[in-house]
Amino acid sequence: MNRSEFPSLGFGVGLRRQHYSHVLDEHPAVDWFEVISENFMVEGGRALEVLEAVREHYPIAMHGVSMSIGSTDPLNRKYLRQLQDLARRFEPAWISDHLCWTGVGGRNLHDLIPLPYTEEAIRHVSARIRQVQETLERPMLIENVSSYMAFTDSTMTEWEFISAIAEQADCGILLDINNIFVSAFNHRFDANEYIDAVPAERVVQYHLAGHSDHGTYLLDTHDHPIRDEVWALYERAARRFGDVATIIEWDDNIPEFAVLASASERARTIFNKVTSEHDARSRNGRSPQATGKHPVSADHRS
Amino acid sequence: MAVRLKQLESILYRLITAVSGVAEGLAAERRMPAGGLDALVRGDDRLSAQDRVDIYANMYFYRLLDVLKEDFPATLSVLGDDNFHNLATGYLLEYPPTEPSVLYCGRHLAAYLRDHPLTKDAPYLADLAMLERALVEVFHGADAPVLESEQMRALAPEKWPRLKLRTHPAVQLLKLRYRVAALLQAVEEHREWKAADAGIVEVIVWRRNSRVFYRELEKAEERAIASLRKGVSFAKICDLVAADCDTTRDPMAELNRLLARWLSDGILTRSRNIRRAGADDLLRARGYNS
Repeated sequence: MNRSEFPSLGFGVGLRRQHYSHVLDEHPAVDWFEVISENFMVEGGRALEVLEAVREHYPIAMHGVSMSIGSTDPLNRKYLRQLQDLARRFEPAWISDHLCWTGVGGRNLHDLIPLPYTEEAIRHVSARIRQVQETLERPMLIENVSSYMAFTDSTMTEWEFISAIAEQADCGILLDINNIFVSAFNHRFDANEYIDAVPAERVVQYHLAGHSDHGTYLLDTHDHPIRDEVWALYERAARRFGDVATIIEWDDNIPEFAVLASASERARTIFNKVTSEHDARSRNGRSPQATGKHPVSADHRS
Repeated sequence: MAVRLKQLESILYRLITAVSGVAEGLAAERRMPAGGLDALVRGDDRLSAQDRVDIYANMYFYRLLDVLKEDFPATLSVLGDDNFHNLATGYLLEYPPTEPSVLYCGRHLAAYLRDHPLTKDAPYLADLAMLERALVEVFHGADAPVLESEQMRALAPEKWPRLKLRTHPAVQLLKLRYRVAALLQAVEEHREWKAADAGIVEVIVWRRNSRVFYRELEKAEERAIASLRKGVSFAKICDLVAADCDTTRDPMAELNRLLARWLSDGILTRSRNIRRAGADDLLRARGYNS
């Protein structure tokens, strides 16, 4: 898998029900939407109607929260069938979920619990991702989670862990910039080192979001504006990875759509600035800093 | 080491879901390795290993509590915050989530409330929760084209008797022992509510244009609606309404009134026509062929 196999989607926002009417009525000028897969695993009703209408005008990606790829329970085949059915109906650009486990013993914690960073976990998760990709007949993306605990059994860094899994499973990476920032604070590592280490050819998408500060830890609540430090990290990522689709996430205390759209445009502005600087350096004969696909500044709408 | 991963996940699951918190979970945990939680989870000067697992334990409970509050606002109003919190604690212990979507989190709450001590002063609570749960399920229920008045009028009259109708697949019919619909409506409209009276009643819940509605059925329509759930000819509906309507009322007028209501509400969908010999004659004999 190489990220060049994936379409270049541009800058978008997570679709939330509070914005359904606005999106359908106003057709806002964002490039694409990301939807939470489980919200559409229903028999009928408004959610599916809305997604049909949104999909007519925008590309989408399906982002799950319950695949539980790291669980020691067997893969949930019914869940994968539902995911496959949704994908056949709505033709997402890609499907993603989190590098974590969400439950065991047939139970669901409805939370994203981190894994120990061990060779055994790499083998376990990689094998499951390969099975999922075979079932879904497409490569998937795995997202780095924010975490509040780390394990004594870990023998490597988180970025070494996700990189190894992406290689062994031959899958893509959804790089959540805010999650890197949050986890870096919670576990005292250098976020820049994370950005600099993951394999560029596998980073297909970013998430950007806000978090809340609890003093001794940061909590990935997706209910605040994106902090300046996270924007700085995003710019570092844009310099390294080039053209990568970006989604603004906001899940609680959700503001009016214009706020999310504005954040999406800020991401575009940063990307365009980085691209211009890259192009200028190239014209001046200086080595490009980006190691991924050459950044392009263009309207990404399909 | 995959075995160890399984053990780690099982231990963490138990600690995160322990009713009274991680400390209680640790005290009850029989499969903790030597060294305790510190041997599994890294702590530091800011947060101990237990503090870190506590973050997940709090998120687990309060996330699901928020979901239950959103799905059961009237039950919450009746119980108040503290009692609802305690209800959720016990409920999640007995019915921990098993489905990928939080949509299913509250599906057993009505069953859990049957004979629950909290219903001593509010015996209607289980029925109220059942009605509130039905609203969630109907909102996400299966789709089908709604039969509209214009479509009925466009049909030639001789086709009406054989026309097979059924309730829309998203419709739910609840048999309740308390008249909770009025209480729910009061909560939804932010009015003062009063305790629900006892009384056997059937409540229909349906969806129209992405909004969910509910009402008590009239006696005259109960059997007709029950038959419509399975799919039934229009001729049979006529018979049922005629048999069940008040003897002081004109059966034809009652049928017209109920049919108009069902079509206006959007609770019907069209099934394939059935061919039943003699249906036309039956209707003509009863004067239903207008």
